[in-house]
Amino acid sequence: MENVLNKEIKKIIDTCPEVGKILEEFGIGCVPCSIGSCLLRDVVGIHNLNPQKESTLMYRIEKAIYPDRRISEPKVGLSKKSTPKKISYSPPVKKLVDEHVLIKRLLAMIPTIVDYVMTSIKVDKDLILRCVDFIRTYADKYHHMKEEDILFKYVDNNAEIIQVMYKDHDTGRGYVRQVVEGAERGNKNQIKENFLAYRELLTQHIKKEDEILYPWIDRQLTTTQVGEIFRKCNESDASAGNALPRKYEKFIVEIEELFLQEVTK
Amino acid sequence: MSGCPGSKTIDFSEKTVQEGSESGKRPSQLRQWPIQMHLVSPHAPYFQGKDVLLAADCTAFALGDFHKDYIKGKSIGIACPKLDTDQEVYVEKIKALIDEAKINTLTVIIMQVPCCFGLVQIAKEGAEKATRKIPVKQVVVGLEGNILSEDWI
Repeated sequence: MENVLNKEIKKIIDTCPEVGKILEEFGIGCVPCSIGSCLLRDVVGIHNLNPQKESTLMYRIEKAIYPDRRISEPKVGLSKKSTPKKISYSPPVKKLVDEHVLIKRLLAMIPTIVDYVMTSIKVDKDLILRCVDFIRTYADKYHHMKEEDILFKYVDNNAEIIQVMYKDHDTGRGYVRQVVEGAERGNKNQIKENFLAYRELLTQHIKKEDEILYPWIDRQLTTTQVGEIFRKCNESDASAGNALPRKYEKFIVEIEELFLQEVTK
Repeated sequence: MSGCPGSKTIDFSEKTVQEGSESGKRPSQLRQWPIQMHLVSPHAPYFQGKDVLLAADCTAFALGDFHKDYIKGKSIGIACPKLDTDQEVYVEKIKALIDEAKINTLTVIIMQVPCCFGLVQIAKEGAEKATRKIPVKQVVVGLEGNILSEDWI
């Protein structure tokens, strides 16, 4: 089993698709991952399952890969469900989780904005570019840069999960470029496809961060490091200025009110 | 049993479970003097930019690995929120530790008894009065030396 633990998850799932199903049963969503180069050992470790759940998972995986091997079943299985553990974040990580809330409010509006674009005679370029400004300045520069320049520096930058996060950020930037191009050309379909793709990507990305990555990082941080990250994030926010988050909160409220009125008309 | 949980008599001398090792010498991790909150100065060099432990007096006796797990790498102030007088001085000292000594973090370690939570209130008050913001952690120790919780507050 030791050599399987050190194999890339995608290769394991390709050879034995049953493993993907088992991981999904345990809330580990590796199957749709575009990279899949995390080692099985890290995949299991990062999810911080309770010992009973982890031993049941490992038993099921081993049994799926080596059906003829005699393996003793762990005594306590999934039938004895443990209470879901509430995630507790350190203060700097909590601040990043809180920033996700505003980003998620824009993501929630995207289908409505896309409908509006598709049914309008002319593309509302100003609206699209204001949304792009929110994404580029608040989500990317203000928020993602704190992750990339500060938080991720405290863990192994080459860890697959961190590489996946960098790739998501880059892919998102690509979609946003396409949205801008669509707005410039008045190409409604280009705006629609890329805005919706961005929404899907960021929704999954934020979920991965809130539920898996951030708790994993928090578990590795010392008290001293938490203090350092908190200070560096505060310095980064101070250099951006207090007006920046307020400006974008106001923008989100504005478009929520605008489109809520549209829907209720 | 009734009365104040902070002062009621409990005898666990019959406790037989003894995990861990008794072999070897354990060096002190204390790197400063004084330590009592009325005696320490927030301007002392050992506080500058450090991670600070604000410990309720009893915690050091309850926790077997207090030095190794909690004092190591930190500067310390000790207090008893039940018996100490002039506790408003503590609030001001915590404020000064945050604003002037620019400490990195504050960990408040208390016993599980209700009166001990007064020390967390003092820490919170000092932190709220301070202009700088820092992460504050609360650690609660059980009467038999077990860690009951460890949370950022």
